[in-house]
Amino acid sequence: MRKVWAVIRREFVERVRSKWFLISTILGPLFMISVTVLPSLLMTRAGRVNHIVLVDEGSGSFAERLSTQLQATGRYAVTVLPAAAGRDSVLQDSLTNAVRQEALDGVLTVSTATVESGMATYRGRNISSITDMSVMEGLLRQTVVTERLAQHGVDASIVQDAQRGITLRTERISKHGTTGESGMVTFFLGYGVGIVLYMIILIYGINVMRSVLEEKQTRIIEVLVSSLRPFQLMLGKVIGVGGVGLFQFGIWGLTGYLVVHFRVQILGAFHVSAAQVGAFTMPAISGGLLAVIAVYFVLGFLLYSALFAVVGATVTADSEAQQAQQPVMMLLVFSLIVSFAALNDPSGQMAVVTSMIPFSSPIIMPVRVATSDVPTSQLVMSLAIAVASSLLIVWLSGRVYRIGILMYGKRPNLKELWRWARQS
Amino acid sequence: MTDTIVAAAGIAKRFAGHVAVADLSLEVPKGAVYGLLGPNGAGKTTTIRMIMNITIPDEGTIELFGDRMGGRHHSARIGYLPEERGLYRKMRVRDMLIFLAEAKGVDRARGAAKVDEWLHRLDLGEWGPRKVEELSKGMQQKVQFIGTMLHEPELLILDEPFSGLDPINQQVLKDIVVHLSRSGTTIIFSTHQMDVAEKICDHVCIIARGRKVLDGGLAEVKRVHGGTHVAVAFEDGAAGAEAMRAVADLVAAADDSGVFAELKLKDGVDPQLVLERLMKTGARIRRFERIEPSLNRIFLDKAGPDAADAEVAHA
Repeated sequence: MRKVWAVIRREFVERVRSKWFLISTILGPLFMISVTVLPSLLMTRAGRVNHIVLVDEGSGSFAERLSTQLQATGRYAVTVLPAAAGRDSVLQDSLTNAVRQEALDGVLTVSTATVESGMATYRGRNISSITDMSVMEGLLRQTVVTERLAQHGVDASIVQDAQRGITLRTERISKHGTTGESGMVTFFLGYGVGIVLYMIILIYGINVMRSVLEEKQTRIIEVLVSSLRPFQLMLGKVIGVGGVGLFQFGIWGLTGYLVVHFRVQILGAFHVSAAQVGAFTMPAISGGLLAVIAVYFVLGFLLYSALFAVVGATVTADSEAQQAQQPVMMLLVFSLIVSFAALNDPSGQMAVVTSMIPFSSPIIMPVRVATSDVPTSQLVMSLAIAVASSLLIVWLSGRVYRIGILMYGKRPNLKELWRWARQS
Repeated sequence: MTDTIVAAAGIAKRFAGHVAVADLSLEVPKGAVYGLLGPNGAGKTTTIRMIMNITIPDEGTIELFGDRMGGRHHSARIGYLPEERGLYRKMRVRDMLIFLAEAKGVDRARGAAKVDEWLHRLDLGEWGPRKVEELSKGMQQKVQFIGTMLHEPELLILDEPFSGLDPINQQVLKDIVVHLSRSGTTIIFSTHQMDVAEKICDHVCIIARGRKVLDGGLAEVKRVHGGTHVAVAFEDGAAGAEAMRAVADLVAAADDSGVFAELKLKDGVDPQLVLERLMKTGARIRRFERIEPSLNRIFLDKAGPDAADAEVAHA
């Protein structure tokens, strides 16, 4: 056990001391801060004013009203240009030119038929801006509806009254009652949990692989296996590297907590008022959720790092490792993709099944826990399967690792790997 | 506790397509400096790996310290320097050596003290806090050598310990080996440098093409396999060449370097007769001496290109 401890200590200390650890630890929280701050900044930022020409092909007062509405949003500066039928194409050509030369942002064309058919055309440079377009479309719809109602003799003030804002507020109901979290916040929490678990398992799993490969390439492995059992070496390595992962996770978690806790002060430094900050409901991250994340990180990391250790043990060169790690990566990527589906329907069949499968459960189950109420029975079953399969995989990997680390040259195929695992 | 530290009986190892070691038996007595000699590719490293339990023999058995538990079981009593040198390049020298000691089960504090002692002894004291990759190749080799001795092993197995070292460091290493041997450590080392082996080994085993050619105590090997050897030196090479032709029928093998030659005489030939014949040619002789055959000579006779069908012989 003392030997395993020596390996753990080496892996941990050498990593924590490295520049790479320092850089990634600092960049991690920076990333988190930017995730918290940027949306607020983007939302409060006044949009750029788009200069557009509204070509009026005989729609009458409709164009004027639409123009007023558009200007009122502050997003658009509108010049209304009446176009006589026949001269239309010449006008459109010169306006298109103006857009091309960036003197204009776009051209909106309304005609007599617009109110009738609801058809208008917008050509411009900013059509990929979702906000700009949805504002324009919304106003167009509103103006057309007002116009149509007016034609049927409905009083303008009644129309206006009827069109007052409609908002659907979403709140998540859990066993503990309404949480006050909106659907959006829950979604992002689950999304974040999935991404972070995926990243950290991947990064540290590959770390284990590199470490195994380094020992093989420098040939120090011969000295090591003459001193300790390969399984002791692998175990020490996995625990040591995983420890670094947890340590970094801890640093980030604490920083994240502090950032969220003092977000009013931090955002204040960016001239965001407390009221604006308060408009965002922070997701409730319970201790239970953190525990679930930590437990599944440990299980998922054990399982995947054992697989990555096998990859490192069965190759000789970096370039081979790139190729050989693909199948393991695929399992992880697949889990992440399924977790997006699980976000949409955390209690659906797909999510439930994949949260039981050992390769995907370390990512899916925490996502489910973050976004819904997972029945305790399912959680227990998933945990039991994950623990059992992690141990099995670690054991099998240890056997392949033991033989692989002393093999140089040709990469073994699956059949050979299986034979290695069975050899005593 | 037996007096035989390593006993291999009929070990064999085949790799895809070729036989690395075949039917090899050897015994290393306690306290010996045992030279495993052979040309490149003879099977020295494979033999050592089998002794270390890194590769498993296809046939035969190996006993270490009188049992068959294997090299890793006795890990704490064995120091091993593999042929393929390897260190953690990014680690600091001192940290890495302490780790190697810990991997052998040495307590951390004790390991650290040992590391400092050895670094100092091999003039590497100031390199302790530096990274391994900053060291020269020779220094790295010394560091690795230190790594094999930190746990004060009873048996030291060194695979080509002297290759790649300059004469000064070779001497340093030799001195340490002799010192350890005097304090009771059993040492096995492989080499193809016969002059080195001759100076420090008391037991040798010559292997060629995976088979043992001869083994035994150095003096015994020389006596049994030596035959009668004379060293001759002439004043000028041309006359020497003529003189050599005059004695050709008396000589079994010659290591002729022009003005100097080492001759192995045919069985039963009296060196006196050789001297007489040489004198008659009129060549001026600077030296004529009956000598012990060098290990190199025996090695060439037994394992050289002419010895393809050499029989397995025991001293």
